[in-house]
Amino acid sequence: MSSGATETVAALDFTPTAVTLVEVLSVLANQDELATIDEVRQDEALRREALATYEALPAPGARPHRGWKYDYANLSFDELRWTSGSVMMATMPKRPVHRLDAEDSGADEIDRPALATENAGGLFFFGATYVDAPSNVDPRVTVLPLTATTVRANEGILNGGHTHSILHEIVDWRADKFAALATAFQNCGAFVYVPDGVQIDAPVQLVFANSEAQDDAVFPHVVVVLGKNARATVIERHVGDGDPFVCGIVEAHAGEGAQLDYVVVQQAGEAARVIFSRGARAERDAQVRWHLAELGGALVRTVLGVRLEAPGSRAEASALFFNTGLQHVDLTSGVDHLVGPTTSDTVVRSAATDRGQGRYIGNIVIRPKAHGSDASLRDDALLLSKHAHIDSVPALEIAANDVKAFHGATVGSLDEDALFYAGSRGIARNAALRMITLGFFEPVIARFPGEALRDEVRTALDRKLDDATEIDV
Amino acid sequence: MPTRGLIARDLRVAVENNEILKGIDLTVEPGRVHALMGPNGSGKSTLAFTLAGHPGYQVLGGSATLDGEDLLALPPDKRAKAGLFLSFQYPAAIPGVSVANFLRTARMSVRPEDLNPAKFRKLVFDKLDTLDMDPAFLGRYVNDGFSGGEKKRLEMLQLAILAPKYAVLDETDSGLDIDALQSVGNSVNALRESDEGKDIGFLVITHYPRILKHVPADVVHILIDGRIVKTGGPELADEIERDGYDGVREEVAFKAAMDEFVVAKAPIV
Ligand SMILES: Nc1ncnc2c1ncn2[C@@H]1O[C@H](COP(=O)(O)OP(=O)(O)OP(=O)(O)O)[C@@H](O)[C@H]1O
Ligand SMILES: [Mg+2]
Repeated sequence: MSSGATETVAALDFTPTAVTLVEVLSVLANQDELATIDEVRQDEALRREALATYEALPAPGARPHRGWKYDYANLSFDELRWTSGSVMMATMPKRPVHRLDAEDSGADEIDRPALATENAGGLFFFGATYVDAPSNVDPRVTVLPLTATTVRANEGILNGGHTHSILHEIVDWRADKFAALATAFQNCGAFVYVPDGVQIDAPVQLVFANSEAQDDAVFPHVVVVLGKNARATVIERHVGDGDPFVCGIVEAHAGEGAQLDYVVVQQAGEAARVIFSRGARAERDAQVRWHLAELGGALVRTVLGVRLEAPGSRAEASALFFNTGLQHVDLTSGVDHLVGPTTSDTVVRSAATDRGQGRYIGNIVIRPKAHGSDASLRDDALLLSKHAHIDSVPALEIAANDVKAFHGATVGSLDEDALFYAGSRGIARNAALRMITLGFFEPVIARFPGEALRDEVRTALDRKLDDATEIDV
Repeated sequence: MPTRGLIARDLRVAVENNEILKGIDLTVEPGRVHALMGPNGSGKSTLAFTLAGHPGYQVLGGSATLDGEDLLALPPDKRAKAGLFLSFQYPAAIPGVSVANFLRTARMSVRPEDLNPAKFRKLVFDKLDTLDMDPAFLGRYVNDGFSGGEKKRLEMLQLAILAPKYAVLDETDSGLDIDALQSVGNSVNALRESDEGKDIGFLVITHYPRILKHVPADVVHILIDGRIVKTGGPELADEIERDGYDGVREEVAFKAAMDEFVVAKAPIV
């Protein structure tokens, strides 16, 4: 099905040191006016532990993930620019908002999708810097940069107000190398809180932008908490033509009966590296729906998880990527059915052309107590050129009786019969190819919330087809 | 001025190096209906695919022209633009592409000049109505999960919307229930009565004369083993239904033997 699957495994060459961390911390300490000594110490201890964890954990690319190459994506940590303006720590109180002069920052050059449109509100980050922008978030909803002040003011919600604590607990950074890195160097972030019973229609948007002038190291930490029966859509966007290194964490908590749609539209610059660990927890009768479109970046790695912790909870994961040029996308999704009955439905569509490389690992775990659960995992890959390659590694682990689990996977190339059929209707080969390829993604796109968003993804895919140099096999 | 018609001359075609069509001569004139019958595997679909330009069929010799234009030199989409339409025996599915989108794209490819969206919409709904099709079909993915009969109706919907110069219907009647057959007949006849459709030449590939009750054939051809062995009027279809192909085969064999006999005798005469 593909060639070029050499076994050279080159790990990312990250060499952050305790010294780097101390430098970062000292930059931050100088800016830190109101953090208590305790907060500073706690923060520093956490970061040191996280850095040690990062160093101790093996790099992906090593076994058991053979065949995955990061050699186009080597990165030396020392290259990253650390500027005080781009660093904002959890321990920075009082003035969480950096008002940047738009001209200085170049922020006005960024096409700010939708923050100004669609009646959406949210936060805008330029590099790691929060840029204050007019926003019309529903007043019942809290949307703040994640700072020490924010954490302090929302202590009850973040650290145990609900049945479990949330901050640093939903994504297990102790077991995930990049989540540990993100924890050690976190320099921006967002906190979204939708209280009990509040249901909002307009999405909350978190925009991470970058320009060529500013190739940043961005370590975001996003925390989304939905109270009982709350309902919201959060859209995380990555835009801009810079080539940042982004390594972040997203933690989402859906309270009893809550419904969360969390959308990621990743259109970072073509040399960007974008690495995320995203996790969610669903309480009784809650629903968490992840929608991912990984479109930009040179190296993209996403780990996506949902823990179904109470009966009646449901997870949906819909993800697509389309690798052109030398893009690598590495996607892992996992649904953990801890109790039953719980349900999950995962749909992944991936395509690659040129020398694009992709890998998908889909995990479903149904624990002994998860009787009556129902899990479905479907992933299909489409290879459009001889040198493109996609691996698919599904894994179902079922420890309960009386469960339904479905899994299906395909890797294929374009359907010649469909191409001929379209041709016989006057549609030229090139146009037919485009139509069929876009159609291939449709089952995932159709699950994204809102026609505007769906059209945006379609348009972005269409543009990627324009850019692909080698298509047709 | 070149001869009008969908014309094959001594067309010889191989699939995977097996010669399937061994010299086809056929002329479908504008506005006329030709039926093509023949046993399974005789090469009917091969002829249809070859005319439409399927890349898997190698033309060994002969020609195929549409109103004088050399079809064999064109890729499939250009043949459609030249005015050819093929209704597939087994239409392919295109998952993720809605019927509405597909119809619009096809129509715009074949005839870029005309029809604003409102008119196009009206055209589609009219044709759906003639075919007794639920407009909900427009939102479904092309042939994806369609029943056999639904696929054939969708082929006829496309025929009506694209209104080509020549249409090859490859077993459009197979697998249709009585009502569906009636709808297909109505649709084809409505098209043939319209200004757009009155000059369409049809090549109707079929195993049964019943479709010809709805769409009467002017001429019937019998294809056996890659050759058109007999051509006649509509009564030929009934004859085939009654007697099968053995009668024709025997007749052909007899004629061949007679020819040989005549040839053998020739020097003496
Ligand atoms: N792709 C192919 N590979 C190999 N053989 C083929 C292929 N396509 C057609 N053939 C052969 O060519 C011959 C003619 O097939 P064709 O489909 O044209 O028959 P047909 O007359 O349409 O039959 P039916 O009435 O069953 O539809 C058959 O023997 C068939 O097996
Ligand atoms: Mg056939």
